[in-house]
Amino acid sequence: MTQFLLRRLLNMIPLILGITFISFLAMSLVPGDFLSNLKMNPTITPEVIKQLQAQFGLDQPLIVRYAKWLWGVLHLNFGISLSYRVSVTSLIESRAFNTIILSASSMLFSWAIAIPIGIIVAVNQNSIWDRVLSFLAFFGMSVPSFFLAFLMMYFALKTGWFPIGGTFSVDYATLDPMSKIADRINHLILPVFVLGISGTAGLMRLMRSQILEIKNSEFVRTARAKGLSERVVIYKHVLRNALNPFITMAGYSLGDLLGGAALVEAVMNLQGLGLLLLDAVRSLDIYLVMGSVLMGTVLLLVGNLLADIALVAVDPRVDFSSVAAE
Amino acid sequence: MRRRPGLTSTIALVAAMSIAGCRVNRPAADHSKQQILYRATGSDPRTFNPILITDATSGTLTGELLESLIRVNPVTLLPEAGLAEKWEIAPDNKTITFHLRHDAKWFDGQPVTSHDVLFTMNVIYDPKVPNSIRPSVLVDHKPIVSETPDDYTIVMHLPKPFAPLLYSIGIPVIPAHILEPVWKAGNFNRSWGIDTPPGKLVGNGPFRMTRYVQSQVVQYERNNDYWMKDEQRGQLPRLHGQAYSVVQDQNAAYLRYLSGQIDVYGPRAEEVLDLRQKAERKELDIAVQEIGVDTGTMFFTFNRNPRHYVKNGVTNPKLNWFTDLKFVTAMAHLVDKKSIISLVYHGLAVPAVADISPENKIFHNPELKDYDYDPKLAADLLEAAGYHLSKPGVRTDPKGNRLEFDLTTNTGVPERDQMCAIFKQDLEKLGIKINYRPLEFTTLVDKIDSSFDWDCLLMGFTGTIEPNDGSNFYRSSGNLHLWNPNQPTPATVWEAEIDTLLDQGASEMDTAKRPPYYWKIQQILHDQLPIIETVRQKRFASWKNSLENYQPKVWGLYKPEWIQFKPD
Repeated sequence: MTQFLLRRLLNMIPLILGITFISFLAMSLVPGDFLSNLKMNPTITPEVIKQLQAQFGLDQPLIVRYAKWLWGVLHLNFGISLSYRVSVTSLIESRAFNTIILSASSMLFSWAIAIPIGIIVAVNQNSIWDRVLSFLAFFGMSVPSFFLAFLMMYFALKTGWFPIGGTFSVDYATLDPMSKIADRINHLILPVFVLGISGTAGLMRLMRSQILEIKNSEFVRTARAKGLSERVVIYKHVLRNALNPFITMAGYSLGDLLGGAALVEAVMNLQGLGLLLLDAVRSLDIYLVMGSVLMGTVLLLVGNLLADIALVAVDPRVDFSSVAAE
Repeated sequence: MRRRPGLTSTIALVAAMSIAGCRVNRPAADHSKQQILYRATGSDPRTFNPILITDATSGTLTGELLESLIRVNPVTLLPEAGLAEKWEIAPDNKTITFHLRHDAKWFDGQPVTSHDVLFTMNVIYDPKVPNSIRPSVLVDHKPIVSETPDDYTIVMHLPKPFAPLLYSIGIPVIPAHILEPVWKAGNFNRSWGIDTPPGKLVGNGPFRMTRYVQSQVVQYERNNDYWMKDEQRGQLPRLHGQAYSVVQDQNAAYLRYLSGQIDVYGPRAEEVLDLRQKAERKELDIAVQEIGVDTGTMFFTFNRNPRHYVKNGVTNPKLNWFTDLKFVTAMAHLVDKKSIISLVYHGLAVPAVADISPENKIFHNPELKDYDYDPKLAADLLEAAGYHLSKPGVRTDPKGNRLEFDLTTNTGVPERDQMCAIFKQDLEKLGIKINYRPLEFTTLVDKIDSSFDWDCLLMGFTGTIEPNDGSNFYRSSGNLHLWNPNQPTPATVWEAEIDTLLDQGASEMDTAKRPPYYWKIQQILHDQLPIIETVRQKRFASWKNSLENYQPKVWGLYKPEWIQFKPD
């Protein structure tokens, strides 16, 4: 176990180095740089641009900049955002909380809906419920989430039940503590719905096919032959085995927690990391992008590791030697 | 079965969330009663340090808390009093004396003095502080020497007469008693960043910043010590506060305006009709008003840069076409402004003729005659100049080269895409092959700025009142002299003439005598066609009728301190 963990952790180092270097390279290969926008401003002279380039270190060769960045990261200094001129850490910190709350709630939302529906649909295979719910699932999968976000905003405008975007109301500071929580939740409902619904469909289909597959496997037949009730067969034997891929997925989603929903964030004006990153990529704010890439990579790798550990714990057929060999 | 209670409780939680969602106790829901103006801004501020600003949003947001030496009146477009009550220009036109008002105070109670102004100038001239203000307060590449005979007088000695200074000196003054120690310690570039607590931003303007939450909101409260008074000696500003919500997506901003969450809004063309209908049907109690046209310019331009087209002594034929006045005149007759206005701008635009917008009432040249859209005339012009149809649909230059070039603009602006499509269609009807290549903005800038690798470009610039601000564009040595930048000596007679006119216009201190120089520049650009003007979008503003004295102009708000919500 310890050996497995150690090996996995050591494996991460070259991976992180490789991913960050390729991202750095990709950002640098894009023509122009962060200052390109300023260059088209008639009141800004080339001298000012040159000074800013020197101040931001953009005039140095790629490898020097990467080495400097890496050196900083080793000292937990993730650099300064070029556009906001404050540390990347503080920018990410200020938004991470909102994004995590949002992603975690939408994940919970989609799991809470998808798993029971998946079970119902699978157990009643080919019934009218199966067809209707499967149709809805495909529909949910195919509607782009930013479009759904617009629809929801329009819904909010027409009904007045929900605020139109934002993380909290402008007068948030004047509210009493309970109202503050209510205000936050009120702002969360629509985005959680939008983000959750797109995940729901896939999860539900996955649950359905898992159960269908396992329902017809040998050990289930054995369980039935033993005379166990259908209820026990489904919930104790089938369901438990059907959940394996979900554990792996939960691990992967750790990386998604901070990435995911830039378009929805943009439309619904949520103060999240996705939007921050999208803007950073667009404006070639290289250190901010690198900070996010690094964080996303680490979370994804750690998430995978946790998922593997969980898988071993849940499924007796998997052990560390087989996971480690992968 | 341990899993099921988990599920049930999650569902219960979701249900509880939806119920809780409906119960927010608002102490005072109606912000109009509180006299707080709610607005939206499209992006986050990048800095609160007025000297380091390079983006419009940061300028607007810090503008609320910092007063400038002088302001520009958005109606008359003339400089008027700000922190400087009055100013005199000495007869030699090289000395300007500003008299500061005695009642202006910083938020912490300290008086605003000439030392603050001097400190501000020193910071701007400090080479260690990269800023975009410096070029505009350099005269003949030299700093202005200022002296402060007393606390409320500052005398600026210019190396030579320089009229644009009266526009560019409208810089926000920063507090020396707060920022001078920071500057001396070498930390100025990191001061007043967006992570600075708003309470530490010591300004002298109508509002204090009270709160900033990234990508959500910037809030202000009234500065009760602000010097400005209305006609009845009443305290200004009348609003008790302001809040700018950061709303990146324009559709979302529109929905917010419709829902009443924000009080004022600048609608896009397609939204104007919708808003007008809603106002007529009394669905919304709002005003919708046309406030003018774009202050900037949008144009097609052809690359005339020999550094790009002459390689190893061989000249690319494109350079010959693009420097051929007959060719570009034909091109000018192919810009179908009428179609652009109706198809792209829903009819809410006007043809642009002069490079300076008609909104610039001081410097716009109204006497230019537009190039009519006339494909027949264009074809005749091309024929007469030797660009013949060698076979149907294929036009060649006098040396037999096929007329074919790239058309480029930046991606992400649908209007530009459509305009290029219309232009391309008209050119192809005459047998000219167009390769339309929209590029990401940064990539495009790289081509314009470094590799010069482009043929024809659709480009726009925002406008300022002072035409000299566009020197980098007009002057042959300018880096934004797009069609042939950074020339050591002017390549053509007319470019040399523009350079001279710029110098003459800048050294004429009497505003009334300055326009002729800039009229001439517009005339030359119109005749020589280094840029082919397209259209200017009409600008609209919409606001709640409960607002009083809200007077938006294309150059900014007129008398913003007088804005208030009507008392019931």
